[in-house]
Amino acid sequence: MLGVLDLDLDVGRLGVVGRNGSGKSTLTRLLAGLVCPTSGTVRLNGIDPAADRRAALAEVGILFQNPDHQLIFPTVLEEIAFGLGQQSLSRAEAEAEARRMLEKFGRVHWAGASVATLSHGQKHLVCLISVVAMAPRLLVLDEPFAGLDIPTKMQLSRHLRRFEGNVLHVSHDPADLGDCDRVLWLDEGRICMVGPAEQVLPEYIAAMNDLGRNHDLADLPG
Amino acid sequence: MERNVAMIALFAALIAVLGLVPPIILAFGVPVTAQSLGVMLAGTVLGARRGVMAVLLFVGLVALGLPLLAGGRGGLGVFASPTVGYLVGFPVAAFVTGWIVEHWRGANLALVAGFAAVVGGIGIDHAFGVVGMAVVLDRSLAEAALLTAAFIPGDLLKAAIAGMLTAALARARPGSVPSRANV
Amino acid sequence: MISLTSPVETRAHAWPAGAKLGGLCLATAALFYLDSLALIAAVAVLILTLYSLPGRSFMASGLRRLARLWPFLIVVIAWAAIEGRPAHGLGIALRMISAVALANLVTMTTRLTDMVDVVAFLCRPFRRLGLQTRALEIAIALVIRMTPVLLDRAEDLMQAWRARSRRRPGWRIILPFTLLAFDDAERVSEALKARGGLISNKET
Repeated sequence: MLGVLDLDLDVGRLGVVGRNGSGKSTLTRLLAGLVCPTSGTVRLNGIDPAADRRAALAEVGILFQNPDHQLIFPTVLEEIAFGLGQQSLSRAEAEAEARRMLEKFGRVHWAGASVATLSHGQKHLVCLISVVAMAPRLLVLDEPFAGLDIPTKMQLSRHLRRFEGNVLHVSHDPADLGDCDRVLWLDEGRICMVGPAEQVLPEYIAAMNDLGRNHDLADLPG
Repeated sequence: MERNVAMIALFAALIAVLGLVPPIILAFGVPVTAQSLGVMLAGTVLGARRGVMAVLLFVGLVALGLPLLAGGRGGLGVFASPTVGYLVGFPVAAFVTGWIVEHWRGANLALVAGFAAVVGGIGIDHAFGVVGMAVVLDRSLAEAALLTAAFIPGDLLKAAIAGMLTAALARARPGSVPSRANV
Repeated sequence: MISLTSPVETRAHAWPAGAKLGGLCLATAALFYLDSLALIAAVAVLILTLYSLPGRSFMASGLRRLARLWPFLIVVIAWAAIEGRPAHGLGIALRMISAVALANLVTMTTRLTDMVDVVAFLCRPFRRLGLQTRALEIAIALVIRMTPVLLDRAEDLMQAWRARSRRRPGWRIILPFTLLAFDDAERVSEALKARGGLISNKET
């Protein structure tokens, strides 16, 4: 999905735009160390996120597009405590820390709740709390707002803005990326443009509108 | 490793769901729950080792008190009831089914998987089931076998379906059917 | 996922799960050695009394679970009656009810987490032999988490089927359903990996 990509990034909040299938998701999975590159290398602050999983946990956390794909455990507390336990906390310490995180987000009463009974937006928030609890230096967001209604989207982005580390926000919707410092535009697995948001986004919107008028979904991928 | 755990857990959940969805009407209008079909598939699709682990996980969770058996049954009571043998036989059935699929290469996958499901899912599982029923109901093995014979036609149908589904899965996702992964 | 533990809090909920399970094993074994109809009947009455202690709704849900045994009861009693030994059939039936009722009683009064703890305890000796108890714990949690999700998916699929078909979904729906489960397994393994996967806490 991703072609040649020679990139050295050092930004607080980076947005990534591109069409469906442009390689955005592959980029997030490479960065999070979920897949190995078929060729080339990925380094985050000098570590290989796919090989050194233990170090990668402190470097990068990822929020999936669909929370149902991310939630592993039946109750909220277990879900949050899991990642902490992976960072060498004992079970009791992990649960105490998970409770502290719930308190920080004002959701202490969720601790024993069954994940299956939460709304879509609430599930998203549980995913976010679980990832933020592990305090990664980089938070990777893979289309976190897809399918959310406007109030839920606003609430979630408020929580996201409070995250103090670096953020890489992937979206096909330029409206989501207004508060990014810089934006990377991917097209067919290649960099199309990198620069300040106010420069890249208008170009992207213009190009997409152009395509929308001309294309008729005839091309098959591959 | 993560992939194995996820695959085993998802298949255990799949066996549960196949028992919980409304009975699917098979040919001839016989309503059958698909739970034992799930056990056959665990063997034919996952292979012996992973299949047995998925089914053990399923049976274990039933014992711990989750209502995962057809009709929402579960708990320790099912291990004292006349059908206990079928439940205890499930993991063995999955193992034998998977072992046959893994070792009998060369022939048409649908045929091999269907045959394996007949041997494991019907032969082995009914053997366990009959023994369990004979013990709990205090009947001879022959008498218990007579009581369970009514289910054999439905099970044969399920074995045939398991064979076709396994072949269809291998076609739909080449390389993703672990029992034949290294073909 | 709803477990079969009774929401009616009984005193037995607080008893150690291991003791309840051990007691159940002994009691069930003893039950199968009882031969006298009078004794078997006495045990059945005793168990029924246990069911009645926590109150009406506890007893009702307990009896409802036992009601599923009716086809077997009919077979056992009728068969023995035809053979001319109805007392024998009655004894077998009562023994079966007692054994199932007793086992259900343990399930109804023991929380899932307590059960899982017993399993973890029993697995401890095997850990030295290389059994990955961590993987087992995660797998148990995953089944509990994913069963309702898969059930929803199955219902979505059936609706999609009905939207374009006059007939009820047949066995062919199991193929796409299994494929969905495959895809879910793929994503779940990614989610596990994203947070460290199965690196166990050997240091702790």
